[in-house]
Amino acid sequence: MKVVTTVPPRRVWWLAAGFIVWCIALAALYAIHAIGCAFGWSPGALRWTLVLVFIAHLVVIGWMWGRIAKGAPDPGSGKTDSFLHDAIVWTTLTAFASGVLALGPPLLLSVCI
Amino acid sequence: MSGPVDPRPEGARALRLHRELSRIWATGPGWQRLAAVNHSVIGMRMFITSFVFFLIAGVLGMLTRVQLATPESVFLDAETYNQVFTVHGSMMLFLFAIPMVESFAVYLTPKILGTRDFAFPRLTAYGYWCYLFGATIVTASLVLGVAPNSGWFMYTPLSSNVYTPGVNADIWLLGITFVEISALSLAIEIIVSVLKMRAPGMSLDRMPIFGWYILVTALMMIVAFPPLILASILLELERAFGLPFFDPTRGGDALLWQHLFWLFGHPDVYIIFLPMAGVLSTMIPVFAGRELVGFRAIVVAIIALAFLSFGIWVHHMFTVGIPHLALGFFSAGSAIVAVPTAIQIFAWLATLSHGRPRWGVPMLYIFGFFFVFAMGGLTGVMLAMVPFDWQAHDTYFVVAHMHYVVAGALAFPMVAALYYWLPLLTGRAAVERLSVLAFWLIFIGFNMTFFMMHLTGLLGMPRRVYTYRGDEGWNWLNLLSSVGGFVMTIGFGLLLIDVVVQLRYGRRARRDPWRATTFEWAMPMPPAPYAFASIPHVGPQTDGVPNGELAVALARGEGYLGSTRNGWQEAIGVHVTSGKPEQLIVLPNPTYLPLVTALFTCGAVLGFLFKAYWVSMVMALLTFGLFVLAGRRAGLPRDHGPLPVGLGVSVPPHTEAASPPSWLALIGALVANGTLFTSLVFGTFYLWLAGGDWQAMPPPEPSRILAFGAIACLVVAAVAARGSLRVVMAGGEATGWMAICAISLIVAVGMVVDLITGITPHPSAHALGATASVLLGYVGFHAAAGLLFLISNFQRIRNGYISQRRCTDLRLTRLWIDYTLVTGVIALGLVLALPSLVTVLGARP
Repeated sequence: MKVVTTVPPRRVWWLAAGFIVWCIALAALYAIHAIGCAFGWSPGALRWTLVLVFIAHLVVIGWMWGRIAKGAPDPGSGKTDSFLHDAIVWTTLTAFASGVLALGPPLLLSVCI
Repeated sequence: MSGPVDPRPEGARALRLHRELSRIWATGPGWQRLAAVNHSVIGMRMFITSFVFFLIAGVLGMLTRVQLATPESVFLDAETYNQVFTVHGSMMLFLFAIPMVESFAVYLTPKILGTRDFAFPRLTAYGYWCYLFGATIVTASLVLGVAPNSGWFMYTPLSSNVYTPGVNADIWLLGITFVEISALSLAIEIIVSVLKMRAPGMSLDRMPIFGWYILVTALMMIVAFPPLILASILLELERAFGLPFFDPTRGGDALLWQHLFWLFGHPDVYIIFLPMAGVLSTMIPVFAGRELVGFRAIVVAIIALAFLSFGIWVHHMFTVGIPHLALGFFSAGSAIVAVPTAIQIFAWLATLSHGRPRWGVPMLYIFGFFFVFAMGGLTGVMLAMVPFDWQAHDTYFVVAHMHYVVAGALAFPMVAALYYWLPLLTGRAAVERLSVLAFWLIFIGFNMTFFMMHLTGLLGMPRRVYTYRGDEGWNWLNLLSSVGGFVMTIGFGLLLIDVVVQLRYGRRARRDPWRATTFEWAMPMPPAPYAFASIPHVGPQTDGVPNGELAVALARGEGYLGSTRNGWQEAIGVHVTSGKPEQLIVLPNPTYLPLVTALFTCGAVLGFLFKAYWVSMVMALLTFGLFVLAGRRAGLPRDHGPLPVGLGVSVPPHTEAASPPSWLALIGALVANGTLFTSLVFGTFYLWLAGGDWQAMPPPEPSRILAFGAIACLVVAAVAARGSLRVVMAGGEATGWMAICAISLIVAVGMVVDLITGITPHPSAHALGATASVLLGYVGFHAAAGLLFLISNFQRIRNGYISQRRCTDLRLTRLWIDYTLVTGVIALGLVLALPSLVTVLGARP
């Protein structure tokens, strides 16, 4: 007899995980930029700090994406896990793309003007 | 004559069940209507109330158009104009748009998800009364000539005491915050109900797309509203007690208001849009005659949209002097937010192009939406570009864009939805002649009014001017705009007449007139108070069954809960992901408690407004007392164990379930609360960096003994809360642990109050002291609220509502105190760190 398992509710939180890291990245970049400008950090140091923070967050989202994409949905839980798995993979990927597009290019602009 | 008496036994059974359920679920006549808690009643009231405010706000909008139709007009003086346009904007956004989408959610969500009501009907009713009273305060102020006059986003310093010394701004701050309490309570209600009260078998992948939209919107609301609530509290503290958070001469910063406001304001656009998009995603497949294209892509798109909408609040602040690099984040984010929106629009178009579209009045409005929203979206991308925004900022171009995205995205789908669900609401079919004429008048009038504003804006007309000279080249555009406004108003007037005519003369609608697939059509029309006589099971056996057949089967009681028991209002609670039935939820009966509690809340607001702070405090305490009273006999007074719910399934009542709705509700409330706290921490750091003269102030020296003592007391309270839970679960008496917990909280409150009284600089002298006092006040308030939890636990134990198996209350108390401990450590730690932070400021160049 086929055993039907249920997807644990905590899995739903993963739908938001990628974008939560995206939000943290935005908040961190905005805050560090404001502090760097207020305290007169040299443009080079500030820019490289921002780049490092940006890359660190991308690495985290990318790692999450890789881990989630590799894990196959549980066939015992029917279509629900497959649906959630696909949705989580794609929201994480979307968060990654949003990070690259929205947070990367501005780092090339003049720093504190 | 002899012969078979049947074929009526099935009908007789359905009728008997209907009578029994109606007796249990119906709201009483006369004054008992004030005790209504049913979602259909509250949803309908909310819809009508918000529509009334739409009409009032519409009239105010027309007054502004009359004033601006010709140059040098003396129709309104400057002060009246300021009040009229401020209330027009505030009313449209806070008293119409948000409540209107909530009314759709309240009325439709349980029906579409196949359940009988929301998880917390009394909270729904309380939310409605708060909305009505708050909105009435704002409206009354207009009649009395003391309405808010600083614009709908109440920028400081214009709204501060110096420039707005009367009560005008206070009315906005208190009235709108009052309405936001309603929005928050309904959002938590919706989240819990969508996740825990769907029809059994409705796993997340089977949940109708409307459920996804409403769930994401409600989650956005609990995160978006707290920053504005905090901003309103801080500004009211500044206006009432002189705590200078926004006063740059005393260490504050006016821009902090803009940050907090737009942290709410931008997501709010999507909070209004997403439910309407949910409505469109529900209606379009019905009219296209096929399934929605890209269900999974849409779910991903709305989650992305929800987050991205929070990350672009600064695009309302491009001109305030933020460096280019930071503006770049928000400019790029504002551009890419168009992508998930476009995914939805293309999914709708693909659904229509791959189906066999039928024409109908709702479809007219859907096409009106496509046109208007595409226009608004395109100008949105233009405004996302910083150089363009610098040119167009604070001109009528922004007013035009805003009306295209907010008014267009709301009004057209709203009317489409009204015509679509009118047969369900009234049981009567549409008569379409007047409807078509009304649509064209609204569509032409809308575009005539607001398209012209793009041009006046590009010609340099600033928003919010009450008159103009006449030599600027704006005359004919303004006149056309005003004429368009009247055309649109006539259109809405016809719409109103049309609805009344249909209510009065429409013929009886047949069941499921649109041949839809969602459950709201598988019930009596208009819906009975219990919604479904029995609750459907979602699965292969019900897939593809026409709603008409399903409705008959459900009416006969062939689903879950197809009989009555103990006079209980019963619904089924399910597992969050799989939708498996896991608990029997017994809902409360009609009660005046929500109305009375809302009246006392209103008293607290009015007391503050009239500066009768003691009255306000007493009313607030009475409000909290009523919340505790409401919990006195909530739930079931004895253990029941698993109870049969039909279709061979037995589940325990919610009072004995491992994951009852109240657990999820408190998590939702703490997420909202945590967002408010995070906004407060953000505000502290923002003022530290941007506020004037922080480094010139003598660093505050809070007593370390008191601060660490307060933290220690909170730790003891958290340990005691665990102890009381453990003892009750083992079948023992928890009085001792609860006493320790209460004493610890009282001592913690005392220490925090002592810390507040010793703050330097004085909270009214500088933002440094004001910020520290609010951080400490937050801790004290939460510790005191923990005492209310304990009082409630104590009386419920005495009344027999808490037992070994029914110990959710104690779990909730533990969670609250844990939250208080975590935020307390952060807040007290930040207060202790303030001297060092102030010293660090000396290193700035």
